[in-house]
Amino acid sequence: MKEKKNRMSKWSVSGIIVFVVTSLTMTVMVIGVIVFAVVYQKSVTQNAMIASEQAAVQVSNIVENYLMDMRKNMEQLREYYKLEKKERNEVINTLVAIQNEVVSVTAYNLESREMLFGWTGEQKMKKKTLKNLSVEEWEECGKNEIYISSPHVESILKNDYPWVVSVCSVMTDSQGQKEMVVMDMSFSQIAGYVDDVGIGAHGYCFIMDREGNIVYHPQQQLIFAGLKSEYVEMLSQSSDGTFQWKGGIYTLQTKESSGWRIVAVSFINEMITERVKSVVLIICFLLLALQTITMAVSIICSRMIGRPVEKLEKAMKEFEKRAEDFVYHPVHGSREIEALSVSLGHMIQRIQELMEQVRREEVTLRKTELRALQAQINPHFLYNTLDSIGWMCEEGRNQDAVEMVNALARLFRISISKGHELIPIEKEVEHAKSYLQIQKFRYKDQFTYDFQVDEECLKYYCNKITIQPFIENAIYHGLDRMVDEGHIQICIRQENDRIAFTVEDNGVGMTEEEQKGLLKRESGDKTGIGIKNVNDRIKIYFGEEYGVKIESELDEGTKITITMPKLEGENL
Amino acid sequence: MKRRRKIKRNLNSIVIFLLLTALAAVIVAMRINVKPEKKYTIAVITKSTKSDFFAAIKAGANAAATEYNVKMTFSGPGTEEDFETQNRLIAEAVEDGADAIVISAVDYNASAKAVKRADEAGVKVIVIDSDVNSNAVACRIGTNDYDAGIMAGEAALNVNEEELYIGIVNYNVNSANGQAREAGFRERVSSDSRVKSVETINVLSTTEDAREKTKMFLRRDAKINVVATFNEWTSLGVGWAIRDLNMKEKHVVAFDNNVVSIGMLESGEIDALIVQNPYAMGYLGLEKAYYLLRDGKKPKDMDTETTVITRENMFSPECQKILFSFQ
Repeated sequence: MKEKKNRMSKWSVSGIIVFVVTSLTMTVMVIGVIVFAVVYQKSVTQNAMIASEQAAVQVSNIVENYLMDMRKNMEQLREYYKLEKKERNEVINTLVAIQNEVVSVTAYNLESREMLFGWTGEQKMKKKTLKNLSVEEWEECGKNEIYISSPHVESILKNDYPWVVSVCSVMTDSQGQKEMVVMDMSFSQIAGYVDDVGIGAHGYCFIMDREGNIVYHPQQQLIFAGLKSEYVEMLSQSSDGTFQWKGGIYTLQTKESSGWRIVAVSFINEMITERVKSVVLIICFLLLALQTITMAVSIICSRMIGRPVEKLEKAMKEFEKRAEDFVYHPVHGSREIEALSVSLGHMIQRIQELMEQVRREEVTLRKTELRALQAQINPHFLYNTLDSIGWMCEEGRNQDAVEMVNALARLFRISISKGHELIPIEKEVEHAKSYLQIQKFRYKDQFTYDFQVDEECLKYYCNKITIQPFIENAIYHGLDRMVDEGHIQICIRQENDRIAFTVEDNGVGMTEEEQKGLLKRESGDKTGIGIKNVNDRIKIYFGEEYGVKIESELDEGTKITITMPKLEGENL
Repeated sequence: MKRRRKIKRNLNSIVIFLLLTALAAVIVAMRINVKPEKKYTIAVITKSTKSDFFAAIKAGANAAATEYNVKMTFSGPGTEEDFETQNRLIAEAVEDGADAIVISAVDYNASAKAVKRADEAGVKVIVIDSDVNSNAVACRIGTNDYDAGIMAGEAALNVNEEELYIGIVNYNVNSANGQAREAGFRERVSSDSRVKSVETINVLSTTEDAREKTKMFLRRDAKINVVATFNEWTSLGVGWAIRDLNMKEKHVVAFDNNVVSIGMLESGEIDALIVQNPYAMGYLGLEKAYYLLRDGKKPKDMDTETTVITRENMFSPECQKILFSFQ
């Protein structure tokens, strides 16, 4: 579950939308094309089969009519044959001359198979025939009432060789003599009809017999020349109906009366596949177009949703990084996005307000805290000093005692400064000097001190009690433990737009740890305000770039540098 | 920020690319759509329109035209020497917007120019039966004339005589197929020791001219006992000459299945017929032209079959189908 969530989180909204829309349309399209192709193919195949069947039915009707004519003519001939010889000859000759389909009528002796009569209408019969093809199938003739031969060439006419089928039957003449009568009927008409049957772009009909021999084929010359072939074996074994075979549609119809089978051939390849292919191709291209448009549209749509969301996300991230000075620019987009954006804007504003408030409150709290500390008088210091003054009075050193008291009074006056935090540097220097004066009495000239003050600095303001804690530190930690006389050097000078205070001693110095500890330790028991306090105050009032820097080397001394901005007045 | 802008630009270009693809796809689809099955017009131009041979070509072409749903026109000059008319017919076919021309050339050289012009006009040319001296021809279909000549030579040698004096009655010297047939014929008979002489006369490709000149030829040189001739009209002429002179004992080898020639084969004036397959030429000529137009692929040259028909086999079912057309 978690993994899934992770994977999802790597996708952007736009990506998901594009992917879902694209894959959905793709699937639908592919299914659509397949369904269409199958249905289309089926229906077209169906149509082709129907066309093939219709062609076969037409041809078979024509053949049927042809066979009917044949029978009719034969029946008529049977009637005519019974007439007197002279009349009979005339009537039959007229029949042959008038009926286009009837090419010739010949009569033969049943035993000797000799030709007795021949009626050929207006055509001339050859004096000598090489071979009479009309009686080739003599053996079959007697078996049925009427026998229809396979097509052959009429070989008894002079300079004319029409294709005919021979119909033969045994007939009785006026004397009751039985003779074999053969009527040759033209085949070219039916051949012409079969020739003209086209099925679709590339189809045709042909006629074969039950054994699979081709009776008539529009391209029989090609078939005989080996340039074309039909699946006669397969066809002769198939029963009537329409079916597909090796890319072709075949329809078979059998004429029971003649034993002829009509075969209609058309080609799926030519008729259907080509068309289906091109149609499917067209559809595929159109779908490709649709697909790409869908993709483009979904990209645009998803961007309309996704981009404002991304902007919001970016804004939030940036806000996360630096909350105080982040400026929020509202994101535009759909209604939901705008509502979200407005809410986020409100939220950011509120958070920033709260942060500011917290900061302000903290500063105020610290200031109050520090002020309270400053107001305290270190009882040890006061006690020691008063004790010193007491001793001075006892010893009659009134002048010293007066100076001491004055110094102490100055010290406290400046410390309080009517409750102001910032005082002119001049006062601060005075405060430091007063303190040093008191300590000098107490430490009986164990150290010397010197002030180096740039006069121009005196008019600027600084936090009160800034220098004193460092002097105190120098005395207690640097000079107190020294055997030799110590020296404290105090400098105040300008550095560009800031003021630098330095307190330098030549005492025992400090280790690294002591240095670090100095800035962290809360105010000690000896003085009212610790070094840490000074540093904190400067930073609260003026910022992180100002503050206290300690440089120290063991047995060499310590140098403390305090920096703060040039302040023209009391107000920040 | 920069990357984001880049992605944005990429997305824009992707959208533009997709829309262009869509446009291209639609255009392609339209292209396919506007290409319906064209009904081609193919002109069949033969040496003449009169003989049974060319009628069979027409029948074959017609069958193919029906099968392939092609519009076919059929034309040819009145005589087999009239290359000017044929050239004019070719030009006319080009003008009338034929997509392809199936031609049996009257003259090997004289027809070349017209064929070239047709090709330059973008009309495909397919030669059947009789070739033309041009490389603009896309495909040649017809009897292998040299082989047919060899066949004729074979049939001429199939005779019970001690000594053979052969007379050839050939037509137009400029006709490619006549010359090739004679070359094949001569090649075959020259290898037989019974052959004592082979002599050629050239006649016009008409029955009358062939009849007269053959009669003169046979009267002049009585020794000749074998006569060979290589097309339909000269065959008829030779047949008539034999009938006129009542010289049925001469062994005659002739070409093509004219009804009268068949009659003469039956009655003995002619002893063997070399039967070409003009139906197949017509059919294949048109079929190849159709495929050439449809697929644009040059078809292979093809030889159509020739058969030797004699009095003995002429009425066999197979030979009937070759020898006698349905028209």
